[in-house]
Amino acid sequence: MTIPANIKYTKDHEWVRIDGDIATFGITDHAQEALGDIVFVELPEVGRTIDAGEAYAVVESVKAVSDVYAPIAGEVVEVNEGLEGEPEKVNTDAFGGGWIAKVKVSGDGSVELMSDDEYTTFLEE
Amino acid sequence: MSDVEITLAKTALFDAHVALAGKMVPFAGFEMPVQYKLGALKEYNAVRDGEAGIFDITHMGQVRVSGNDALAYLQYVTTNDVSKLVDGQVQYSALLNDSGMFIDDITTYKISDVEYYLCINAANRYKDVAHLQAEAAGFDVSVVDESDDTTLLALQGAAAQAALQPLLDRDLESIGYYKFAQVKVGGVAGIVSRTGYTGEDGFEVYIPNSIAVDVWDDLLQNGAVPIGLAARDMLRTEMGYALYGHEISDAVTPVEAKLMWITKLDKGNFIGKAAVEARKSAGPQQRLIAIKLVGRGIPREHYPVSVDGALSGEITSGMFSPMAGGVALAYVKPEHAESGDLSVEIRGKQVAAERAKLPFVRSNVRR
Repeated sequence: MTIPANIKYTKDHEWVRIDGDIATFGITDHAQEALGDIVFVELPEVGRTIDAGEAYAVVESVKAVSDVYAPIAGEVVEVNEGLEGEPEKVNTDAFGGGWIAKVKVSGDGSVELMSDDEYTTFLEE
Repeated sequence: MSDVEITLAKTALFDAHVALAGKMVPFAGFEMPVQYKLGALKEYNAVRDGEAGIFDITHMGQVRVSGNDALAYLQYVTTNDVSKLVDGQVQYSALLNDSGMFIDDITTYKISDVEYYLCINAANRYKDVAHLQAEAAGFDVSVVDESDDTTLLALQGAAAQAALQPLLDRDLESIGYYKFAQVKVGGVAGIVSRTGYTGEDGFEVYIPNSIAVDVWDDLLQNGAVPIGLAARDMLRTEMGYALYGHEISDAVTPVEAKLMWITKLDKGNFIGKAAVEARKSAGPQQRLIAIKLVGRGIPREHYPVSVDGALSGEITSGMFSPMAGGVALAYVKPEHAESGDLSVEIRGKQVAAERAKLPFVRSNVRR
């Protein structure tokens, strides 16, 4: 299982990569492994305003339907349409090609974010 | 730790599942593997693409019925016509209550005129056995629950026969579809039937627990791929096979569940017959249909199904099929079984669907 160093993590096993005022969201390797084979991703609409902690996407594995929560508040500016045809990217490349949405950070807050070290400790607890 | 601890049963293969990285979950009172290291999709592919999948389905129950009245008794407690069975034949059937509703669906194995073997659902075991024993009063039969002593393995997929044959003293080629034989597995008595729940050619193997681990290991050695509950449910749903608690339950009769083909009203009296006849002439209250999503999404159990914009029923089993897309079985109002525009409500949105023919993907069972 990988936990890259340059991004932040949430207790709900989402990750966020912040680049200027754009934040990219996805679910962690730990999350995809726990869910199993992802067979469907419901993406948010571009232009939608989301709050920190709000369910903005849905990932479905063979057996389960799971909400994905936004680490940071903002407006959706891009979604990973490639997941419509290849949802398995969430399994095979959770921190890269399996990204879900990009958000323009609004400054309206975030959930509690952890560093890679903190997330590693969190997973061990 | 919670105050209430539920003790789950383990099959003789529990350690073998854990050793194969089986993800163990509670299922019908047992700890069973929902998937192994490969994951549900690859396990599914192994069975559909010509390999041999091996499933531990020991959670299923087995009941031996023997005695001079065995035939008359089974004609009375099961829906199908047991008199049509020859020795060595298996029959899909059901147990109904007096209201014509399902107690369970079962398979009946005819060993001889005075001895039969029933395979029943795990979750219904104690209910079924209590019912079967209560109804045995007045018949010269003994009804014995052999579930605790028996390991049941399913081998499914085009390579199933090749994987299983080396373990047996009997040529599997001689066992046709829905036929069985009493065999020696490594010298120990067991039963092998050409049956299954996947739509592929394959077998179900009943053996004593004492040899379960050896047989499992030998089958893995012969190339069998372990398959968990998640892939098993995908395989059975694609075939449209009913599952107790989903398509059938104590709230529906064979008329609704499209199981009149195993309910023989012309064979003499049986439990539930009068109620089924009444339901048949009054017409079903709902009908089971097969549907395929046209729009994007995955239809899931309990999602509402609408026809022409008005609520008509709900999904009983639904899934993402790698071969057929979003597919489901659903109960709808009888007048909607064949006409009207279908949609499935997924997270508050209506997603277009259409009626489909079963099975959703081609069956490869050997007829």
